[in-house]
Amino acid sequence: MTAASLTVAPADRGGLRATGLLRSEWIKLRSVRSTIWAYAVTIVGGIGLSAMLGLSTSVEGLTAADQTSLVVQAATMGLLLAQLSVSILGVLVISGEYSTGMIRSTLTAAPRRYSALLAKAAVFAAVTFVVGLIITFGSYFVAASLMATRGAESSLGDPGVISALVGGALFLSLIGVLSLGIGTIVRSGAGGIAATIGLLMLAPIVFALIPAEWAADVARYLPTAVGGAMYQIPLDGGTGMDPVQGLLFLLVWVAVALGSGAALLTRRDA
Amino acid sequence: MIEATGLTKRYGDKIAVNDVTFTVQPGKVTGFLGPNGAGKSTTMRMIVGLDRPTSGSVTVNGRVYKEHSAPLREVGALLDAKAIHTGRSAFNHLLAMGATHGIGAARVREVIALTGLESVANKRVGGFSLGMGQRLGIAAALLGDPATLIFDEPVNGLDPEGVRWVRQLVRGLAAEGRTVLLSSHLMSEMAQTADHIIVLGRGKVLADAPVDEMVNASSRTVVRVRTPFADEFSSLFGSSVSFTRVAADLLEVEGATPAQLGDAAARAGLALHELTPVVGSLEEAYLRLTDDDVEYRTGGLAALIEKAGVV
Repeated sequence: MTAASLTVAPADRGGLRATGLLRSEWIKLRSVRSTIWAYAVTIVGGIGLSAMLGLSTSVEGLTAADQTSLVVQAATMGLLLAQLSVSILGVLVISGEYSTGMIRSTLTAAPRRYSALLAKAAVFAAVTFVVGLIITFGSYFVAASLMATRGAESSLGDPGVISALVGGALFLSLIGVLSLGIGTIVRSGAGGIAATIGLLMLAPIVFALIPAEWAADVARYLPTAVGGAMYQIPLDGGTGMDPVQGLLFLLVWVAVALGSGAALLTRRDA
Repeated sequence: MIEATGLTKRYGDKIAVNDVTFTVQPGKVTGFLGPNGAGKSTTMRMIVGLDRPTSGSVTVNGRVYKEHSAPLREVGALLDAKAIHTGRSAFNHLLAMGATHGIGAARVREVIALTGLESVANKRVGGFSLGMGQRLGIAAALLGDPATLIFDEPVNGLDPEGVRWVRQLVRGLAAEGRTVLLSSHLMSEMAQTADHIIVLGRGKVLADAPVDEMVNASSRTVVRVRTPFADEFSSLFGSSVSFTRVAADLLEVEGATPAQLGDAAARAGLALHELTPVVGSLEEAYLRLTDDDVEYRTGGLAALIEKAGVV
Protein backbone atom coordinates (compact mmCIF):
# COMPACT_ATOMS: atom_id res chain seq x y z
CA MET A 1 0.00 0.00 0.00
CA THR A 2 2.00 2.92 -1.24
CA ALA A 3 0.91 6.46 -1.97
CA ALA A 4 1.17 5.60 -5.65
CA SER A 5 -1.50 2.90 -5.35
CA LEU A 6 -3.93 5.59 -4.25
CA THR A 7 -3.73 7.42 -7.54
CA VAL A 8 -5.43 4.55 -9.38
CA ALA A 9 -8.93 5.68 -10.25
CA PRO A 10 -11.56 3.74 -8.26
CA ALA A 11 -13.50 2.92 -11.42
CA ASP A 12 -10.53 0.92 -12.74
CA ARG A 13 -10.68 -1.35 -9.72
CA GLY A 14 -14.31 -2.32 -9.88
CA GLY A 15 -17.12 -0.33 -8.39
CA LEU A 16 -20.47 -1.07 -6.86
CA ARG A 17 -22.36 -3.29 -9.31
CA ALA A 18 -25.65 -5.13 -9.36
CA THR A 19 -23.85 -8.47 -9.82
CA GLY A 20 -21.69 -7.65 -6.80
CA LEU A 21 -24.75 -6.86 -4.69
CA LEU A 22 -26.40 -10.13 -5.73
CA ARG A 23 -23.24 -12.07 -4.89
CA SER A 24 -23.00 -10.30 -1.55
CA GLU A 25 -26.59 -11.13 -0.63
CA TRP A 26 -26.07 -14.75 -1.68
CA ILE A 27 -23.02 -14.99 0.60
CA LYS A 28 -25.03 -13.42 3.42
CA LEU A 29 -27.96 -15.79 2.95
CA ARG A 30 -25.89 -18.97 2.87
CA SER A 31 -23.46 -18.02 5.64
CA VAL A 32 -26.00 -17.81 8.44
CA ARG A 33 -26.87 -21.15 9.97
CA SER A 34 -30.50 -20.26 10.69
CA THR A 35 -31.18 -19.88 6.95
CA ILE A 36 -30.07 -23.45 6.28
CA TRP A 37 -32.16 -24.72 9.18
CA ALA A 38 -35.24 -22.78 8.17
CA TYR A 39 -35.08 -24.12 4.62
CA ALA A 40 -34.47 -27.67 5.85
CA VAL A 41 -37.48 -27.46 8.16
CA THR A 42 -39.54 -25.97 5.33
CA ILE A 43 -38.71 -28.85 2.99
CA VAL A 44 -39.21 -31.61 5.55
CA GLY A 45 -42.40 -30.07 6.91
CA GLY A 46 -43.81 -29.34 3.47
CA ILE A 47 -43.21 -32.78 2.03
CA GLY A 48 -44.21 -34.40 5.33
CA LEU A 49 -47.61 -32.72 5.37
CA SER A 50 -48.24 -33.75 1.76
CA ALA A 51 -47.25 -37.32 2.62
CA MET A 52 -49.78 -37.40 5.47
CA LEU A 53 -52.46 -36.13 3.15
CA GLY A 54 -51.43 -38.66 0.54
CA LEU A 55 -51.93 -41.41 3.10
CA SER A 56 -55.39 -40.28 4.12
CA THR A 57 -57.01 -39.02 0.92
CA SER A 58 -59.49 -41.34 -0.73
CA VAL A 59 -60.10 -41.13 -4.47
CA GLU A 60 -62.80 -43.78 -4.80
CA GLY A 61 -65.38 -43.18 -7.47
CA LEU A 62 -63.84 -40.01 -8.83
CA THR A 63 -63.20 -39.12 -12.45
CA ALA A 64 -59.61 -39.26 -13.70
CA ALA A 65 -59.43 -35.45 -13.82
CA ASP A 66 -60.63 -35.14 -10.24
CA GLN A 67 -58.17 -37.83 -9.13
CA THR A 68 -55.38 -35.71 -10.60
CA SER A 69 -56.83 -32.66 -8.86
CA LEU A 70 -56.72 -34.40 -5.51
CA VAL A 71 -53.17 -35.67 -5.98
CA VAL A 72 -52.06 -32.13 -6.82
CA GLN A 73 -54.04 -30.84 -3.84
CA ALA A 74 -52.21 -33.27 -1.57
CA ALA A 75 -48.92 -32.34 -3.17
CA THR A 76 -49.43 -28.60 -2.66
CA MET A 77 -50.96 -28.85 0.81
CA GLY A 78 -47.43 -28.77 2.21
CA LEU A 79 -47.20 -25.18 1.01
CA LEU A 80 -49.54 -24.15 3.85
CA LEU A 81 -46.83 -25.16 6.29
CA ALA A 82 -43.96 -24.03 4.08
CA GLN A 83 -45.37 -20.52 3.66
CA LEU A 84 -45.27 -20.14 7.43
CA SER A 85 -41.55 -20.82 7.79
CA VAL A 86 -40.70 -18.97 4.56
CA SER A 87 -42.57 -15.86 5.68
CA ILE A 88 -40.78 -15.93 9.04
CA LEU A 89 -37.45 -16.34 7.26
CA GLY A 90 -38.34 -13.50 4.89
CA VAL A 91 -38.87 -11.15 7.84
CA LEU A 92 -35.72 -12.33 9.62
CA VAL A 93 -33.51 -11.89 6.56
CA ILE A 94 -33.94 -8.13 6.94
CA SER A 95 -34.88 -7.69 10.62
CA GLY A 96 -31.76 -9.67 11.56
CA GLU A 97 -29.72 -6.94 9.92
CA TYR A 98 -31.45 -4.33 12.04
CA SER A 99 -31.20 -6.24 15.33
CA THR A 100 -27.49 -6.97 14.87
CA GLY A 101 -26.58 -3.59 13.39
CA MET A 102 -25.42 -5.27 10.17
CA ILE A 103 -27.73 -2.95 8.23
CA ARG A 104 -25.23 -0.12 8.80
CA SER A 105 -22.47 -2.15 7.14
CA THR A 106 -24.82 -3.10 4.31
CA LEU A 107 -25.91 0.49 3.67
CA THR A 108 -22.36 1.81 3.89
CA ALA A 109 -21.37 -0.61 1.13
CA ALA A 110 -24.48 0.26 -0.90
CA PRO A 111 -25.45 3.83 -0.03
CA ARG A 112 -28.11 3.89 -2.75
CA ARG A 113 -30.12 1.74 -0.48
CA TYR A 114 -32.94 0.41 -2.61
CA SER A 115 -30.42 -1.48 -4.77
CA ALA A 116 -29.27 -3.44 -1.73
CA LEU A 117 -32.89 -4.28 -0.88
CA LEU A 118 -33.69 -5.31 -4.45
CA ALA A 119 -30.62 -7.56 -4.54
CA LYS A 120 -31.65 -9.12 -1.24
CA ALA A 121 -35.20 -9.68 -2.52
CA ALA A 122 -33.97 -11.18 -5.80
CA VAL A 123 -31.59 -13.63 -4.12
CA PHE A 124 -34.14 -14.62 -1.50
CA ALA A 125 -36.83 -15.08 -4.18
CA ALA A 126 -34.55 -17.24 -6.35
CA VAL A 127 -33.39 -19.49 -3.50
CA THR A 128 -36.92 -19.82 -2.13
CA PHE A 129 -38.24 -20.65 -5.60
CA VAL A 130 -35.76 -23.53 -5.86
CA VAL A 131 -36.71 -24.70 -2.38
CA GLY A 132 -40.35 -24.40 -3.44
CA LEU A 133 -39.72 -26.62 -6.50
CA ILE A 134 -38.07 -29.22 -4.26
CA ILE A 135 -41.14 -29.14 -2.01
CA THR A 136 -43.85 -29.23 -4.67
CA PHE A 137 -42.21 -31.82 -6.92
CA GLY A 138 -40.99 -33.85 -3.93
CA SER A 139 -44.49 -33.72 -2.43
CA TYR A 140 -46.05 -34.67 -5.73
CA PHE A 141 -43.95 -37.82 -6.10
CA VAL A 142 -44.52 -38.82 -2.48
CA ALA A 143 -48.28 -38.11 -2.55
CA ALA A 144 -48.77 -39.65 -6.00
CA SER A 145 -47.01 -42.88 -5.10
CA LEU A 146 -48.88 -43.17 -1.79
CA MET A 147 -52.23 -42.53 -3.46
CA ALA A 148 -51.40 -44.87 -6.33
CA THR A 149 -51.54 -47.75 -3.84
CA ARG A 150 -55.25 -46.93 -3.49
CA GLY A 151 -55.81 -46.68 -7.18
CA ALA A 152 -55.33 -42.99 -7.88
CA GLU A 153 -54.01 -42.44 -11.34
CA SER A 154 -52.00 -39.36 -12.03
CA SER A 155 -48.91 -38.38 -13.94
CA LEU A 156 -46.83 -35.26 -14.37
CA GLY A 157 -48.06 -35.12 -17.93
CA ASP A 158 -51.71 -34.62 -16.91
CA PRO A 159 -53.09 -31.20 -17.83
CA GLY A 160 -52.21 -28.50 -15.34
CA VAL A 161 -49.97 -30.60 -13.08
CA ILE A 162 -46.60 -29.08 -13.96
CA SER A 163 -48.11 -25.62 -14.05
CA ALA A 164 -49.58 -26.12 -10.55
CA LEU A 165 -46.31 -27.43 -9.10
CA VAL A 166 -44.24 -24.61 -10.60
CA GLY A 167 -46.97 -22.13 -9.61
CA GLY A 168 -46.79 -23.41 -6.03
CA ALA A 169 -43.03 -22.83 -5.92
CA LEU A 170 -43.50 -19.34 -7.35
CA PHE A 171 -46.23 -18.66 -4.78
CA LEU A 172 -43.86 -19.65 -1.96
CA SER A 173 -41.13 -17.45 -3.34
CA LEU A 174 -43.42 -14.41 -3.67
CA ILE A 175 -44.82 -14.91 -0.16
CA GLY A 176 -41.20 -14.80 1.01
CA VAL A 177 -40.55 -11.51 -0.78
CA LEU A 178 -43.83 -10.07 0.53
CA SER A 179 -42.64 -10.90 4.05
CA LEU A 180 -39.24 -9.37 3.33
CA GLY A 181 -41.05 -6.17 2.32
CA ILE A 182 -43.08 -6.20 5.55
CA GLY A 183 -39.90 -6.85 7.55
CA THR A 184 -38.27 -3.83 5.90
CA ILE A 185 -41.21 -1.63 6.79
CA VAL A 186 -41.42 -2.82 10.40
CA ARG A 187 -37.65 -3.39 11.02
CA SER A 188 -38.23 -5.68 13.99
CA GLY A 189 -38.39 -9.46 13.98
CA ALA A 190 -41.29 -9.81 16.40
CA GLY A 191 -43.34 -7.03 14.83
CA GLY A 192 -42.62 -8.19 11.31
CA ILE A 193 -43.54 -11.81 12.01
CA ALA A 194 -46.73 -10.74 13.77
CA ALA A 195 -47.74 -8.52 10.85
CA THR A 196 -46.90 -11.18 8.28
CA ILE A 197 -48.66 -14.04 10.04
CA GLY A 198 -51.58 -11.69 10.61
CA LEU A 199 -51.87 -10.95 6.91
CA LEU A 200 -51.28 -14.49 5.67
CA MET A 201 -53.03 -16.62 8.29
CA LEU A 202 -55.33 -14.49 10.41
CA ALA A 203 -56.81 -12.07 7.90
CA PRO A 204 -58.43 -14.86 5.80
CA ILE A 205 -60.16 -16.21 8.92
CA VAL A 206 -61.26 -12.82 10.19
CA PHE A 207 -62.75 -11.73 6.87
CA ALA A 208 -64.46 -15.11 6.46
CA LEU A 209 -66.15 -14.59 9.84
CA ILE A 210 -67.56 -11.17 8.96
CA PRO A 211 -71.02 -11.80 7.47
CA ALA A 212 -70.93 -9.13 4.80
CA GLU A 213 -70.52 -9.08 1.06
CA TRP A 214 -67.57 -6.66 1.19
CA ALA A 215 -65.71 -8.89 3.65
CA ALA A 216 -66.02 -11.80 1.24
CA ASP A 217 -64.72 -9.57 -1.54
CA VAL A 218 -61.71 -8.53 0.54
CA ALA A 219 -61.02 -12.15 1.45
CA ARG A 220 -60.90 -13.08 -2.22
CA TYR A 221 -58.00 -10.69 -2.81
CA LEU A 222 -55.83 -11.53 0.20
CA PRO A 223 -52.34 -12.83 -0.71
CA THR A 224 -53.01 -16.44 0.25
CA ALA A 225 -56.34 -16.45 -1.61
CA VAL A 226 -55.01 -15.04 -4.89
CA GLY A 227 -51.87 -17.15 -4.48
CA GLY A 228 -53.98 -20.29 -4.10
CA ALA A 229 -55.11 -19.91 -7.70
CA MET A 230 -51.50 -20.41 -8.76
CA TYR A 231 -51.30 -24.01 -7.58
CA GLN A 232 -54.82 -25.39 -7.29
CA ILE A 233 -56.64 -27.34 -10.00
CA PRO A 234 -60.38 -26.81 -9.35
CA LEU A 235 -62.44 -29.97 -8.88
CA ASP A 236 -65.20 -30.87 -11.37
CA GLY A 237 -63.58 -28.56 -13.90
CA GLY A 238 -64.90 -25.67 -11.75
CA THR A 239 -63.66 -22.16 -12.33
CA GLY A 240 -61.93 -19.84 -9.90
CA MET A 241 -59.38 -17.15 -10.49
CA ASP A 242 -57.03 -18.45 -13.16
CA PRO A 243 -53.35 -18.97 -12.24
CA VAL A 244 -52.07 -15.97 -14.22
CA GLN A 245 -54.61 -13.65 -12.57
CA GLY A 246 -53.59 -15.03 -9.19
CA LEU A 247 -49.94 -14.39 -9.98
CA LEU A 248 -50.67 -10.83 -11.06
CA PHE A 249 -52.66 -10.03 -7.91
CA LEU A 250 -49.92 -11.52 -5.72
CA LEU A 251 -47.34 -9.46 -7.59
CA VAL A 252 -49.34 -6.34 -6.71
CA TRP A 253 -49.13 -7.29 -3.02
CA VAL A 254 -45.39 -7.88 -3.32
CA ALA A 255 -44.82 -4.62 -5.18
CA VAL A 256 -46.74 -2.62 -2.57
CA ALA A 257 -44.88 -4.20 0.38
CA LEU A 258 -41.42 -4.10 -1.17
CA GLY A 259 -41.98 -0.65 -2.68
CA SER A 260 -43.09 0.80 0.67
CA GLY A 261 -40.13 -0.91 2.35
CA ALA A 262 -37.70 0.53 -0.22
CA ALA A 263 -39.17 4.03 0.09
CA LEU A 264 -38.89 3.94 3.89
CA LEU A 265 -35.40 2.43 3.77
CA THR A 266 -34.20 5.23 1.50
CA ARG A 267 -35.74 7.95 3.63
CA ARG A 268 -34.95 6.82 7.14
CA ASP A 269 -31.72 7.21 9.10
CA ALA A 270 -29.99 3.89 9.60
CA MET B 1 -10.40 15.14 1.93
CA ILE B 2 -13.61 15.50 3.86
CA GLU B 3 -15.45 18.82 3.73
CA ALA B 4 -18.45 19.63 5.91
CA THR B 5 -20.38 22.83 5.34
CA GLY B 6 -23.04 24.07 7.73
CA LEU B 7 -23.75 20.46 8.65
CA THR B 8 -26.75 20.20 10.97
CA LYS B 9 -28.66 17.22 12.36
CA ARG B 10 -31.79 17.49 14.43
CA TYR B 11 -33.64 14.64 16.11
CA GLY B 12 -37.01 16.14 17.03
CA ASP B 13 -36.24 19.14 19.27
CA LYS B 14 -32.75 17.97 20.00
CA ILE B 15 -29.87 19.32 17.93
CA ALA B 16 -27.15 16.70 17.71
CA VAL B 17 -24.94 18.58 15.26
CA ASN B 18 -25.32 22.32 14.96
CA ASP B 19 -24.05 24.15 11.87
CA VAL B 20 -20.68 22.44 11.78
CA THR B 21 -18.09 23.41 9.17
CA PHE B 22 -14.68 21.78 8.91
CA THR B 23 -12.19 20.22 6.53
CA VAL B 24 -10.21 17.04 7.08
CA GLN B 25 -6.96 17.12 5.10
CA PRO B 26 -5.17 14.17 3.53
CA GLY B 27 -1.81 13.03 4.84
CA LYS B 28 -2.71 13.77 8.43
CA VAL B 29 -4.48 12.13 11.30
CA THR B 30 -7.31 14.42 12.29
CA GLY B 31 -8.78 13.84 15.71
CA PHE B 32 -12.43 14.38 16.43
CA LEU B 33 -12.46 15.13 20.11
CA GLY B 34 -15.35 15.77 22.43
CA PRO B 35 -17.29 14.42 25.37
CA ASN B 36 -19.96 11.79 24.85
CA GLY B 37 -23.01 13.29 23.16
CA ALA B 38 -20.98 16.03 21.47
CA GLY B 39 -22.09 14.92 18.00
CA LYS B 40 -18.96 13.06 16.85
CA SER B 41 -20.68 9.82 15.84
CA THR B 42 -23.64 11.59 14.24
CA THR B 43 -21.27 13.66 12.12
CA MET B 44 -19.39 10.54 11.06
CA ARG B 45 -22.63 8.76 10.20
CA MET B 46 -23.62 11.70 8.01
CA ILE B 47 -20.27 11.51 6.18
CA VAL B 48 -21.07 7.99 4.94
CA GLY B 49 -24.76 8.70 4.38
CA LEU B 50 -26.22 6.62 7.20
CA ASP B 51 -27.91 9.70 8.66
CA ARG B 52 -29.33 12.37 6.44
CA PRO B 53 -28.33 15.93 7.36
CA THR B 54 -31.20 18.20 8.37
CA SER B 55 -29.33 20.94 6.54
CA GLY B 56 -25.87 21.57 5.19
CA SER B 57 -23.75 18.99 3.43
CA VAL B 58 -20.65 16.92 3.71
CA THR B 59 -18.55 15.60 0.84
CA VAL B 60 -15.67 13.18 0.49
CA ASN B 61 -13.19 14.03 -2.25
CA GLY B 62 -15.65 16.53 -3.64
CA ARG B 63 -18.70 14.29 -3.78
CA VAL B 64 -21.49 13.28 -1.47
CA TYR B 65 -20.69 9.71 -0.34
CA LYS B 66 -23.56 8.01 -2.12
CA GLU B 67 -22.67 9.67 -5.43
CA HIS B 68 -19.39 7.75 -5.60
CA SER B 69 -19.39 4.82 -8.01
CA ALA B 70 -17.25 2.73 -5.65
CA PRO B 71 -18.03 3.94 -2.11
CA LEU B 72 -16.01 1.26 -0.29
CA ARG B 73 -12.94 2.06 -2.37
CA GLU B 74 -13.40 5.73 -1.56
CA VAL B 75 -14.10 5.64 2.17
CA GLY B 76 -13.49 2.96 4.78
CA ALA B 77 -15.45 3.42 7.96
CA LEU B 78 -15.47 1.81 11.36
CA LEU B 79 -18.50 3.39 12.97
CA ASP B 80 -19.66 0.70 15.30
CA ALA B 81 -17.81 -2.51 16.06
CA LYS B 82 -21.17 -4.20 16.50
CA ALA B 83 -22.46 -3.42 13.01
CA ILE B 84 -22.00 -7.05 12.04
CA HIS B 85 -24.41 -9.98 11.88
CA THR B 86 -23.59 -12.10 14.91
CA GLY B 87 -24.43 -15.39 13.20
CA ARG B 88 -21.85 -15.02 10.45
CA SER B 89 -18.12 -15.74 10.53
CA ALA B 90 -15.63 -12.89 10.23
CA PHE B 91 -14.43 -14.27 6.90
CA ASN B 92 -17.93 -14.49 5.43
CA HIS B 93 -18.80 -11.03 6.73
CA LEU B 94 -15.82 -9.52 4.94
CA LEU B 95 -16.44 -11.64 1.85
CA ALA B 96 -20.05 -10.40 1.65
CA MET B 97 -19.00 -6.78 2.18
CA GLY B 98 -16.26 -7.04 -0.43
CA ALA B 99 -18.43 -8.85 -2.96
CA THR B 100 -20.50 -5.70 -3.46
CA HIS B 101 -17.43 -4.07 -5.04
CA GLY B 102 -15.95 -7.15 -6.68
CA ILE B 103 -13.39 -7.55 -3.89
CA GLY B 104 -12.48 -11.22 -3.59
CA ALA B 105 -11.27 -13.73 -1.03
CA ALA B 106 -7.59 -12.86 -1.56
CA ARG B 107 -8.06 -9.29 -0.33
CA VAL B 108 -10.28 -10.56 2.49
CA ARG B 109 -7.44 -12.81 3.68
CA GLU B 110 -5.05 -9.87 3.40
CA VAL B 111 -7.08 -7.62 5.71
CA ILE B 112 -7.65 -10.51 8.10
CA ALA B 113 -3.88 -10.97 8.34
CA LEU B 114 -3.35 -7.22 8.62
CA THR B 115 -5.67 -7.02 11.63
CA GLY B 116 -4.42 -10.20 13.28
CA LEU B 117 -7.71 -12.09 13.04
CA GLU B 118 -6.41 -15.28 11.36
CA SER B 119 -7.14 -17.54 14.31
CA VAL B 120 -10.78 -16.45 14.65
CA ALA B 121 -11.63 -15.74 11.00
CA ASN B 122 -13.92 -18.75 10.72
CA LYS B 123 -15.62 -18.29 14.08
CA ARG B 124 -19.01 -16.68 14.43
CA VAL B 125 -18.82 -12.97 15.21
CA GLY B 126 -21.34 -13.34 18.05
CA GLY B 127 -18.60 -14.80 20.25
CA PHE B 128 -16.12 -12.00 19.61
CA SER B 129 -14.81 -9.75 22.35
CA LEU B 130 -15.18 -6.00 21.86
CA GLY B 131 -11.51 -5.84 20.91
CA MET B 132 -11.88 -8.50 18.21
CA GLY B 133 -15.00 -6.70 16.97
CA GLN B 134 -12.95 -3.50 16.63
CA ARG B 135 -10.28 -5.34 14.66
CA LEU B 136 -12.94 -6.81 12.38
CA GLY B 137 -14.46 -3.36 11.90
CA ILE B 138 -11.03 -2.00 10.98
CA ALA B 139 -10.52 -4.94 8.58
CA ALA B 140 -13.82 -4.07 6.89
CA ALA B 141 -12.79 -0.42 6.60
CA LEU B 142 -9.52 -1.41 4.91
CA LEU B 143 -11.18 -3.83 2.42
CA GLY B 144 -11.43 -1.39 -0.46
CA ASP B 145 -7.97 0.12 0.15
CA PRO B 146 -9.69 3.52 0.44
CA ALA B 147 -8.00 6.92 0.40
CA THR B 148 -10.20 8.14 3.25
CA LEU B 149 -10.67 6.38 6.57
CA ILE B 150 -13.08 7.13 9.36
CA PHE B 151 -12.71 5.45 12.73
CA ASP B 152 -15.18 6.09 15.54
CA GLU B 153 -13.54 5.34 18.88
CA PRO B 154 -11.35 2.58 17.43
CA VAL B 155 -9.41 1.88 20.61
CA ASN B 156 -12.49 1.14 22.71
CA GLY B 157 -12.14 -2.29 24.21
CA LEU B 158 -8.60 -2.86 23.00
CA ASP B 159 -5.79 -3.98 25.28
CA PRO B 160 -2.65 -1.78 25.51
CA GLU B 161 -0.96 -3.75 22.76
CA GLY B 162 -4.04 -3.29 20.56
CA VAL B 163 -4.15 0.43 21.32
CA ARG B 164 -0.53 0.77 20.21
CA TRP B 165 -1.30 -1.21 17.07
CA VAL B 166 -4.21 1.09 16.13
CA ARG B 167 -2.03 4.12 16.76
CA GLN B 168 0.70 2.82 14.46
CA LEU B 169 -1.85 1.78 11.87
CA VAL B 170 -3.55 5.18 11.62
CA ARG B 171 -0.22 7.00 11.62
CA GLY B 172 0.95 4.69 8.84
CA LEU B 173 -2.23 5.26 6.82
CA ALA B 174 -1.82 9.02 7.09
CA ALA B 175 1.86 8.74 6.16
CA GLU B 176 0.76 7.03 2.93
CA GLY B 177 -1.14 10.21 2.08
CA ARG B 178 -4.58 9.05 3.16
CA THR B 179 -7.16 11.17 4.91
CA VAL B 180 -7.74 9.81 8.40
CA LEU B 181 -10.49 10.99 10.74
CA LEU B 182 -10.42 9.45 14.18
CA SER B 183 -12.76 10.15 17.06
CA SER B 184 -12.13 9.79 20.74
CA HIS B 185 -13.23 11.23 24.02
CA LEU B 186 -9.76 10.55 25.40
CA MET B 187 -7.45 13.52 25.10
CA SER B 188 -4.39 11.45 25.96
CA GLU B 189 -5.09 9.17 23.02
CA MET B 190 -5.44 12.12 20.66
CA ALA B 191 -2.27 13.77 21.90
CA GLN B 192 -0.31 10.70 20.86
CA THR B 193 -2.07 9.97 17.59
CA ALA B 194 -3.45 13.09 15.95
CA ASP B 195 -1.75 15.87 14.02
CA HIS B 196 -4.78 18.07 13.93
CA ILE B 197 -7.70 18.28 16.29
CA ILE B 198 -11.30 19.31 15.87
CA VAL B 199 -12.99 19.70 19.24
CA LEU B 200 -16.76 19.24 19.31
CA GLY B 201 -19.01 20.18 22.19
CA ARG B 202 -22.81 20.12 22.13
CA GLY B 203 -22.79 19.69 18.39
CA LYS B 204 -20.58 22.70 17.68
CA VAL B 205 -16.97 23.05 16.63
CA LEU B 206 -15.17 24.56 19.62
CA ALA B 207 -11.67 24.42 18.18
CA ASP B 208 -10.04 23.36 14.94
CA ALA B 209 -6.26 23.54 15.03
CA PRO B 210 -3.00 21.61 14.92
CA VAL B 211 -2.31 19.76 18.15
CA ASP B 212 0.64 21.97 19.15
CA GLU B 213 -1.16 25.17 18.42
CA MET B 214 -4.15 24.08 20.42
CA VAL B 215 -2.02 23.28 23.42
CA ASN B 216 -0.23 26.63 23.18
CA ALA B 217 -3.31 28.72 22.61
CA SER B 218 -5.63 27.22 25.13
CA SER B 219 -3.39 26.52 28.03
CA ARG B 220 -1.54 28.81 30.36
CA THR B 221 2.22 28.89 29.97
CA VAL B 222 3.51 28.85 33.47
CA VAL B 223 7.14 29.10 34.53
CA ARG B 224 8.17 27.52 37.79
CA VAL B 225 10.86 29.45 39.64
CA ARG B 226 12.69 28.14 42.70
CA THR B 227 14.76 30.67 44.58
CA PRO B 228 15.62 31.41 48.23
CA PHE B 229 14.91 35.09 47.41
CA ALA B 230 11.26 34.68 46.42
CA ASP B 231 10.08 38.02 47.83
CA GLU B 232 12.92 40.06 46.33
CA PHE B 233 12.51 38.26 43.03
CA SER B 234 8.79 38.92 42.72
CA SER B 235 9.27 42.61 43.48
CA LEU B 236 11.41 42.96 40.33
CA PHE B 237 8.34 42.81 38.06
CA GLY B 238 5.37 44.99 37.35
CA SER B 239 1.67 44.08 37.52
CA SER B 240 1.69 42.37 34.11
CA VAL B 241 3.47 39.41 35.63
CA SER B 242 1.63 37.41 38.26
CA PHE B 243 3.16 35.21 40.96
CA THR B 244 1.69 32.33 42.87
CA ARG B 245 3.56 31.24 45.96
CA VAL B 246 3.57 27.44 45.93
CA ALA B 247 6.14 27.01 48.71
CA ALA B 248 8.52 29.25 50.65
CA ASP B 249 11.09 29.03 47.88
CA LEU B 250 8.82 28.12 44.93
CA LEU B 251 6.85 30.45 42.67
CA GLU B 252 4.62 29.86 39.66
CA VAL B 253 4.91 32.74 37.27
CA GLU B 254 2.56 33.75 34.50
CA GLY B 255 3.12 36.54 32.00
CA ALA B 256 6.86 36.30 31.42
CA THR B 257 9.14 33.95 29.49
CA PRO B 258 11.89 31.92 31.22
CA ALA B 259 14.46 34.12 29.44
CA GLN B 260 12.95 37.34 30.79
CA LEU B 261 12.79 35.89 34.29
CA GLY B 262 16.38 34.56 34.22
CA ASP B 263 17.79 37.82 32.83
CA ALA B 264 16.02 39.88 35.49
CA ALA B 265 17.33 37.62 38.26
CA ALA B 266 20.91 37.89 36.92
CA ARG B 267 20.74 41.71 36.75
CA ALA B 268 19.52 41.83 40.38
CA GLY B 269 22.14 39.31 41.48
CA LEU B 270 19.53 36.83 42.80
CA ALA B 271 20.36 33.14 42.64
CA LEU B 272 17.79 30.87 40.96
CA HIS B 273 17.74 27.16 41.81
CA GLU B 274 15.18 26.23 39.20
CA LEU B 275 13.65 27.82 36.13
CA THR B 276 11.19 25.47 34.39
CA PRO B 277 8.60 26.25 31.72
CA VAL B 278 5.52 24.14 32.39
CA VAL B 279 3.76 23.32 29.13
CA GLY B 280 0.04 22.95 29.50
CA SER B 281 -1.18 19.50 28.57
CA LEU B 282 -3.69 18.83 25.83
CA GLU B 283 -5.94 17.42 28.49
CA GLU B 284 -5.92 20.73 30.26
CA ALA B 285 -6.66 22.55 27.02
CA TYR B 286 -9.51 20.18 26.26
CA LEU B 287 -11.13 20.50 29.66
CA ARG B 288 -10.85 24.26 29.40
CA LEU B 289 -12.59 24.22 26.02
CA THR B 290 -15.36 21.83 26.85
CA ASP B 291 -15.83 22.99 30.40
CA ASP B 292 -19.11 24.73 29.68
CA ASP B 293 -20.15 22.26 27.07
CA VAL B 294 -20.25 18.93 28.79
CA GLU B 295 -23.83 17.90 28.36
CA TYR B 296 -24.16 15.61 31.30
CA ARG B 297 -22.15 16.91 34.17
CA THR B 298 -21.51 14.70 37.12
CA GLY B 299 -23.14 17.26 39.31
CA GLY B 300 -26.15 17.43 37.07
CA LEU B 301 -26.66 13.70 37.20
CA ALA B 302 -26.26 13.60 40.96
CA ALA B 303 -28.79 16.40 41.31
CA LEU B 304 -31.14 14.54 39.01
CA ILE B 305 -30.89 11.36 41.02
CA GLU B 306 -31.44 13.29 44.22
CA LYS B 307 -34.46 14.99 42.76
CA ALA B 308 -35.87 11.66 41.64
CA GLY B 309 -35.52 10.44 45.20
CA VAL B 310 -33.44 7.43 44.24
CA VAL B 311 -30.95 8.05 47.05
